[in-house]
Amino acid sequence: MEIIITIFLIALGTYVLIGLLFGLYFLFKGAAKIDPLMQDTKKRVRFLLFPGVAATWPFLIRKLFKPKTT
Amino acid sequence: MGLDYQLVLWNKHKKTYDKIIAFSMLLYIILFAVITLVFNAETSIETLVIRAFGSLAIIMLHIILVIGPLARLNSNFLPILYNRRHLGVSMFIAALIHGGFSIFQFHALGDVNPIYSVFTSNMDYASLTNFPFQVLGFLALLILFVMASTSHDFFLGNLSAKVWKRLHMLVYVAYALIIAHVFLGAFQQETSVFTIGILVIGFVIVVSLHLITAFKEGKIDAAKAEEKEGWLKVCDISEIEEDRAKIFTVENERVAIFKYDGKLSAIHNVCKHQGGPLGEGKIIDGCITCPWHGYQYLPGNGQSPPPFTEKVATYALKLQGEMIYINPDAFNEGTEVEPCNY
Ligand code: HEM
Ligand code: FES
Repeated sequence: MEIIITIFLIALGTYVLIGLLFGLYFLFKGAAKIDPLMQDTKKRVRFLLFPGVAATWPFLIRKLFKPKTT
Repeated sequence: MGLDYQLVLWNKHKKTYDKIIAFSMLLYIILFAVITLVFNAETSIETLVIRAFGSLAIIMLHIILVIGPLARLNSNFLPILYNRRHLGVSMFIAALIHGGFSIFQFHALGDVNPIYSVFTSNMDYASLTNFPFQVLGFLALLILFVMASTSHDFFLGNLSAKVWKRLHMLVYVAYALIIAHVFLGAFQQETSVFTIGILVIGFVIVVSLHLITAFKEGKIDAAKAEEKEGWLKVCDISEIEEDRAKIFTVENERVAIFKYDGKLSAIHNVCKHQGGPLGEGKIIDGCITCPWHGYQYLPGNGQSPPPFTEKVATYALKLQGEMIYINPDAFNEGTEVEPCNY
């Protein structure tokens, strides 16, 4: 049981860590590429979005690397 | 719907609702503290905070879970539905205070990592009465965090409505985890009858409201239309209220038929924003207005008025006497259709 818990928590921690790093890049650079509304979005709004980006980074990364459809 | 993202799309009504939410939460905490201290003056302040915010969060979660079905059964509840996201974020904050305080109280004083301690301080995972119930609370809190942190419109657009909706359906998983958290916790803690009572009554209400709504909508789907040369007979004009719609199922798609200014128009029932039921909305200023968050569409062509660009599919209607018929083949989204005059 302890092994499962340890693996789960390490995975969770890694996920969050990647999320935090990706979040910084995404909100101040990457996001504007997939969402034109982000170009003029203010700093404090970006901080508000930060936790959510850190939580859902796999979806956003996929979108960032997908060739543009529109 | 703007040229950049705002912190929160506040308007006067939302501000009023937010004040009501904040005030009610404060009132609850104060009442809870007073009542607890009257009956049990020895309760420590930490225990008080943990119990007050835990029970507050679970009450708010129940309100959140019943708003959806209630708004579908009775449109008077719609204004609360528009404000559900703020309610959700407030609920998360209450749950976070509860969980944070618990972790601090029971796990932060040792030399193991507090989160690791939540999972390992009690290893009785095979037991029912001594199950490490805090783990369930922790997992629920993770889900609530994902939901609260992605509640901004930015995520709706950028995760895609489908993914967003799925993420937010996890609220039911969180609900199940929390029920288990409280019930299994009750074996180990002297959980109050009050909290258990709320949970049992709340569960019955949540389940029955969801069942009633599902049953009612099932009936719409089952009502099979008569066919006539490819046109489906739907209903009599008088069955639709002015500036309102009736919803029908045509070729497995929900269609809303609106009646306004002596005209009839039919559009696909699903809002482009988050799939709200357009046919439960009203015509306001000549536009079909989604009951969930107010996106608008012109009845004649299913397009949002400029500068917006959302489009839904339209359908052709015809009248024979007072009877309305619909052509089940949808037009492309945003196609202009001459409204049916009566
Ligand atoms: C990290 C996450 C969590 C931890 C560590 C945690 C811990 C605890 C603990 C130690 C108790 C027993 C308190 C006592 O009776 O003295 C408790 C009870 C409770 N928890 Fe949690 N919890 C967590 C998350 C949640 C969440 C997310 C909710 C609901 C939204 C919740 C709702 C409740 C409720 C309603 C009770 C019963 C309160 C009562 O005894 O009156 N918990 N939790
Ligand atoms: S679903 Fe949000 S406005 Fe229609």
